[in-house]
Amino acid sequence: MTAGPSRGRRYVMLLLLLCGFSVILFRLVTLQVLQEAELTAKADRQHQKTVSFEGARGMVSDRHGKVLAMNVEVPSVFGVPTLLESPSTVARHLAPVLHIRRDELERKLRQDKSFVWLARKVEPEQGRRMEQLSLDGIGVMMEGQRFYPKGPLLAHVLGFSGMDGQGLEGLERRYDSHLLGEKRVTVLQRDALGRTVFPKGLAEQVPTPGHALTLTVDEVIQYIAEKELEEAVTHSRAKSGTIIVMEPQSGAILAMAVSPRFDPNVVAALTPDRWRNRALTDTYEPGSTMKMVVAAAALEEKVMTPDSMVFGEYGHMGIANTTIHDHDKLGWMTFSEVIQKSSNIGAVKTGMALGEQRLYHYLQAFGFGERTEIDLPGEVSGLLKAPKDWGGRSLASISMGQEVGVTPLQMVSAVATLANGGVMMKPYVVSEVRNQKGRLLKEVLPQVKRRAVSQDTARTMTTMLEGVVTNGTGTKAAIPGFRVAGKTGTAQKIDSRTGAYSSTQFVGSFVGYVPAESPRLAMIVVLDEPQGEAWGGAVAAPVFRRVGEQVLNYLGVSREDTVKIALAMKDH
Amino acid sequence: MKTVTLVAGVLLVFVFVWERVDVVRLGYQIERLKTQKVLLERKRDQLQVKFSALTAPERIAKVATEKLGLVPPQQGQVVMVHLPGEAPSLSLPSVEQVRLARHDSTGRVSE
Repeated sequence: MTAGPSRGRRYVMLLLLLCGFSVILFRLVTLQVLQEAELTAKADRQHQKTVSFEGARGMVSDRHGKVLAMNVEVPSVFGVPTLLESPSTVARHLAPVLHIRRDELERKLRQDKSFVWLARKVEPEQGRRMEQLSLDGIGVMMEGQRFYPKGPLLAHVLGFSGMDGQGLEGLERRYDSHLLGEKRVTVLQRDALGRTVFPKGLAEQVPTPGHALTLTVDEVIQYIAEKELEEAVTHSRAKSGTIIVMEPQSGAILAMAVSPRFDPNVVAALTPDRWRNRALTDTYEPGSTMKMVVAAAALEEKVMTPDSMVFGEYGHMGIANTTIHDHDKLGWMTFSEVIQKSSNIGAVKTGMALGEQRLYHYLQAFGFGERTEIDLPGEVSGLLKAPKDWGGRSLASISMGQEVGVTPLQMVSAVATLANGGVMMKPYVVSEVRNQKGRLLKEVLPQVKRRAVSQDTARTMTTMLEGVVTNGTGTKAAIPGFRVAGKTGTAQKIDSRTGAYSSTQFVGSFVGYVPAESPRLAMIVVLDEPQGEAWGGAVAAPVFRRVGEQVLNYLGVSREDTVKIALAMKDH
Repeated sequence: MKTVTLVAGVLLVFVFVWERVDVVRLGYQIERLKTQKVLLERKRDQLQVKFSALTAPERIAKVATEKLGLVPPQQGQVVMVHLPGEAPSLSLPSVEQVRLARHDSTGRVSE
């Protein structure tokens, strides 16, 4: 036995193995290292299709973080017609799952396109069944669907967004640039067998969501307002209604309820009339609620004091060939009683004492004829003509709230100004904007618009408006245990057929604040065309009481008769 | 010496290839976990929507009145009690403060 042949064979074997491995290694290195970029690009070109889509819209929540609007990903089904061999067979499989007519699907799949939506934002179960079918040239992609989990709650403020995630109404529209998610191009890729299509690097390519909004609204207060408004509108058979609850010190909107309501999850069948935010898009002649502004102006200009005597002309007074009436045949009364009893003649005489220019100045100072600049779309400035355009009766009419068009938001801002010691705040709905990581991007702080009247005037007005609720036309707004200041309003509407004031169509309203000595809430209740008894004091004032009472309880505001107890903290 | 160098070279190539393969394997693993994260986030969002819908004040009021037979407190049934030296704040209280006030009114708070 010699070692020669054996060693030789070993060398040969080793050489062969080395050659073999070398070939494999060479190929591996060539494929994975040298040609990697080129081959990857080639594979991508063969298997990829680019489609752009956007990140989830930002969340909207109330002042306590309760979610009011958010996005959830739901499946959307698409087809790649160029990959289909038999569109009719595919359509036959898809029709029962997507609940779409077979011929309609087939028509889409026969188009000469490389990408076509078949059904967008379908039920998750439908998406799962589609994936199980695993059809050539058919894919499922997740898309953001906007949900409003509280249904109709705050719908007129929130608005809604469209199928492609663009804000169409309300806050969704006003803050669209913040809420919109990042737009990104996504790559769709088939697997090795070419059967399924899915986004490559799904997680990496999920676009950044939009910014989140925190509102000043409290969902519980909003619910109380909406519930009571719905009941009032139903009970009075009114055409529509509005309630706005505002924090007088800041201008923050706590609730903005509009009736009839709508569900922003289902808007396709609705008309714009249904989702219009009447609180700031619709104007009405306020009637007697305007007298509080006239009174504040008169006090500020010292043309009246609460004890000034005014003659009520026993209910009839001629102005510019017309007669102004009062509800009661009033004789001499104090200026406070003019407001308490809501005397038209008293208000007209007050307006005349002020004169056109001064009255106009204070109407402007209280924000009439200009937008409040609330951060919601569609706000109108109302109607307030300049004195040069006033007619012979205008001064009298405007003094009692006619010939002037206001929005409920303007009126509640005006009363909130009195509640806030004469300082008008800018109303706002969004308090914070944060990015998806929670970092604060924008904080909205209370903003002073102007001082309308002095603090003394505001204080005197509060006493006079308390009189309205204790002894005047607004007694039904009284909340036991709290001092309420407010004013009723009943305005005749213009009959569109005759152009004259209607004797059957009214707007009943109540505007006020509570507790009068340290206001926490300023509120307006407006009912459009209530049937039967239409007086603001009869239809709107009770709604103010019911909402006010519940909200004050909810906020834990002390009644005047609060029991104060001393607890022996040291014992514990 | 040459053999050793050759073997070392082959080993190096093996290590390099193994490393490439492992990178790919880890890449798949990362991808899988990221997908899992996306799915969990999606699930979380769905639950959040469900939670929000279930806690809607309208629904709670309906359940409270229709199922549990509760009624809103009537006039005089709510009494706010404040601790000594505690002045009502001008700014709105937090929800927690509101709850405390209600607990006080039922006498359940002993601190």
